Amino acid sequence: MSRQENDHTPGTKVLANCGKCGLCLSVCPVYQTLKEEQASPRARLQLIKAFEKDSLATSPLLKEIISKCLMCGSCAAACPSGIDHYGKFMEMRQKMVEALGDAPAIKTMVYLLAKEHRLRTGSKMAALGQKLTPDFLGDKYRVGNIPVSRFPSLNRRPFRDAQPGRILPEAGTTSASGKARGRIAYFTGCATNYMFEDTGRAVTGILTALGYEVIIPKAQTCCAIPMLFHGAAQKAEGNIQANITALTATDADRIIVDCTTCGAALKDEYPAFIKRADLTGGLEEAAANISKKTTDILSFLGEHDLSFHPDAGSDSRHLGRAVYHAPCHSRNSFSSHAGIQTLLKTLPNLDYIPTPGEADCCGGGGTFFYEHPETAAKIMDRKREQLRAVEPTLWLTDCPVCRINLAGNLKPDSHVNVCHPVVPIHNAI
Amino acid sequence: MNTPITPAHLTPDISNTAKQAFLEIVGADRYLDRPEETACYAYDAFLEESTPAAVVFPSSTQDVSEIMKVAAAHHIPVTGRGAGTSICGAPVPVLGGLVICFSKMDKILEINTRDRYAVVQPGVVNAELQKGLAPYGFFYPPDPGSIATSTIGGNIAQNAGGPRCLKYGVTMDYILGMEAVLSDGRIVRFGSKNVKDVTGYRMTSLFCGSEGTLGLITEAIVKVVPKPETTRTLMVTFSDLEDTAKSVSDIIGSGILPAAMELMDRFTLNAIEDSARLGLDRQAAGSLLIEIDGVAEACEKEMKRIADILTTNNAINIEEAATPEDQDRLWTARRSAYGVFAKLAPDIFTEDVTVPVSQVPEMVRRIKTIAAKYDVGIGVLAHAGDGNMHPLVTTDRSNTEEWERVEKAFDEIFAAAAELGGTLSGEHGIGLAKTKYMPLVMNQDSMDVMTAVKKAIDPAGILNPGKFV
Repeated sequence: MSRQENDHTPGTKVLANCGKCGLCLSVCPVYQTLKEEQASPRARLQLIKAFEKDSLATSPLLKEIISKCLMCGSCAAACPSGIDHYGKFMEMRQKMVEALGDAPAIKTMVYLLAKEHRLRTGSKMAALGQKLTPDFLGDKYRVGNIPVSRFPSLNRRPFRDAQPGRILPEAGTTSASGKARGRIAYFTGCATNYMFEDTGRAVTGILTALGYEVIIPKAQTCCAIPMLFHGAAQKAEGNIQANITALTATDADRIIVDCTTCGAALKDEYPAFIKRADLTGGLEEAAANISKKTTDILSFLGEHDLSFHPDAGSDSRHLGRAVYHAPCHSRNSFSSHAGIQTLLKTLPNLDYIPTPGEADCCGGGGTFFYEHPETAAKIMDRKREQLRAVEPTLWLTDCPVCRINLAGNLKPDSHVNVCHPVVPIHNAI
Repeated sequence: MNTPITPAHLTPDISNTAKQAFLEIVGADRYLDRPEETACYAYDAFLEESTPAAVVFPSSTQDVSEIMKVAAAHHIPVTGRGAGTSICGAPVPVLGGLVICFSKMDKILEINTRDRYAVVQPGVVNAELQKGLAPYGFFYPPDPGSIATSTIGGNIAQNAGGPRCLKYGVTMDYILGMEAVLSDGRIVRFGSKNVKDVTGYRMTSLFCGSEGTLGLITEAIVKVVPKPETTRTLMVTFSDLEDTAKSVSDIIGSGILPAAMELMDRFTLNAIEDSARLGLDRQAAGSLLIEIDGVAEACEKEMKRIADILTTNNAINIEEAATPEDQDRLWTARRSAYGVFAKLAPDIFTEDVTVPVSQVPEMVRRIKTIAAKYDVGIGVLAHAGDGNMHPLVTTDRSNTEEWERVEKAFDEIFAAAAELGGTLSGEHGIGLAKTKYMPLVMNQDSMDVMTAVKKAIDPAGILNPGKFV
């Protein structure tokens, strides 16, 4: 019996099969924090169903309830009925935004991300603004639950501008015939491009040291997840098409991301979007091809036997105690958690200490920390427990929003550094 | 099913005066009455839904008591709710009114392993209690399928069971004492911290499975026990479902008491395998997930005897989980059964008729015959060791012709269970699901006693009205 055969009401195709078992409540960071049913994935599905059956109308409250979700995908990963929560939530968010509009700041973000040149101009203005913001204002004013002063500073130059489009493997790493081990397309994501060049340098450094040729397509642009999550499907379509074209042109063996949310877009959301929007012109095949090749950098490194620099473990190079924060898309889209733990344990230049709260959400959730600062702050309060017993010097995480959120919520006198795990890995090889 | 008519003396709506009084007790952020919010408290995992007029989140026993005084004064129906994972509609507020949601009263107040008890608020999630006990090497045995989400308060109200209740007993066997608020706001305490306590009526047991019709549980003293030294888990497959069922009654009949013995038929195995790909045998007609625990040497002995019985009953494959991870995987498969069925069709309907274990083979046979008679696909899974059957059907209620056949099939299943000396519900409760079947297992005088008890404790009838009593 296929789903379609059982569906009679248009629009309730997927929803009809939620058994309301409530298992999703146990994995939803928002429900776990607020302990209110309306903050749960099950409730959102019920409300969407009511909305589609016209028993609930569009309202600011309905929009708020639907948006009070991190889009972390933990519900979908745990759902025994295989509900497509992402698809349902994105569709509903779109309807709410169409009917009620979005907050000005969110609209601006979607506007900027939809066109790379806008983003470049915007980031220059923001860099200027950051320099001009007096410290006392920076501490007082907050972006969501994060004080402005603790926001990361922007790259002086966008990472992709500062890099050649093609980087050859390091000397001595290629085969006798001079052939690279393989060709990798590096999808940098906006965060690495505009904020976290340290991540970008580490990724290219590691890959070339392993003997790979790295292509950084200049025409790549925002992965479109922010638009998809904020109901701007039309704007998303342009970005998706641009990225598919840019990545296909590289003819790479693998596509590597350092941000697993971008990764989730390339791997899962592009094919789903194309199917939903019924796009033609070979896009489906190209997207399937990209999906197949996409891996996050840490899972990719897990496929390799890394050899470390002989001095990497020496006192002068040792980075101290490290804890890891597992981002939602790393766990739910790439199931990379166990592999990363193994990888971190092998590093000679840090002492990785597994903590029970490792996979707990930090409350960042894309723009969640901005839209729902109080809830985000509560989630973060629980997350901070992870540090208490260990007192680490490094807090590693492979998601840029988690990084901003974790670093932004440290105490002003904290000595904890937050960075992507590739940074210490690069230091060790 | 017809929604019961609201008795004249109850008001499903909440007047402005009553609302102001509730707001004074709990504050604005713990009172919800906008339709987008109340819609989220209209359901549990059962099919029927009904929206309350408002929802309150108390933070203390005192809150609950004050809330009940206001509700009583205004004749407002009150339905308690934990996490809303019941599958019989128990927390569905059929007559509207007020839902008191205990999810925010979620503190473990005390763990005392020397005296082997824990004191919890009603909103503590079962799995959180297990987590709290783990460092002491203790656990709380009742393990309903909803263990990750459901609350102890809800578990008590439903007298929840679970796979390992075969050996360890159900929720009722672990409730030493409780505090509850009655419909007029009075606060009562029953039982104590003692395993032995015959001081008067065992009221704690009466409240177990009362589905919120007698009072609202605001604190519980639960018995906790040390974890067994060894746990061993077997996955066994058969080419014949009768052999599977007979193995169950033979093992129990031989004097061995496994911690759990779960039966799944081919339909169930395939549904789980479609969803989770755990390497279950799709060809097997039946399978048993058997867990034994205790002292290592005793386990070893029991294991041998179980293997002998299984072989005699033509088991085609006996496999033991090699690691704790393997054990988890098998249990995850079993726990996901309810959800994976939901995937197959718009509506899922399950019951939990229970029969004496020697009747398990006959009950399985009858379910299969009834399913064939009405041409409905009924999966059989069961906590078979204690005779607790879970016949489960995936259906589509908008197909009225099919739904009628499903209802008829279940009518006959209930009748069959009653005939075999069984009962309507082993662990799910009555709720909205099976009030009409009660005469099958109870005469009028017995039901009158329940009504008398209800009237004595909740004379105004405001606690969870529209249910079995």
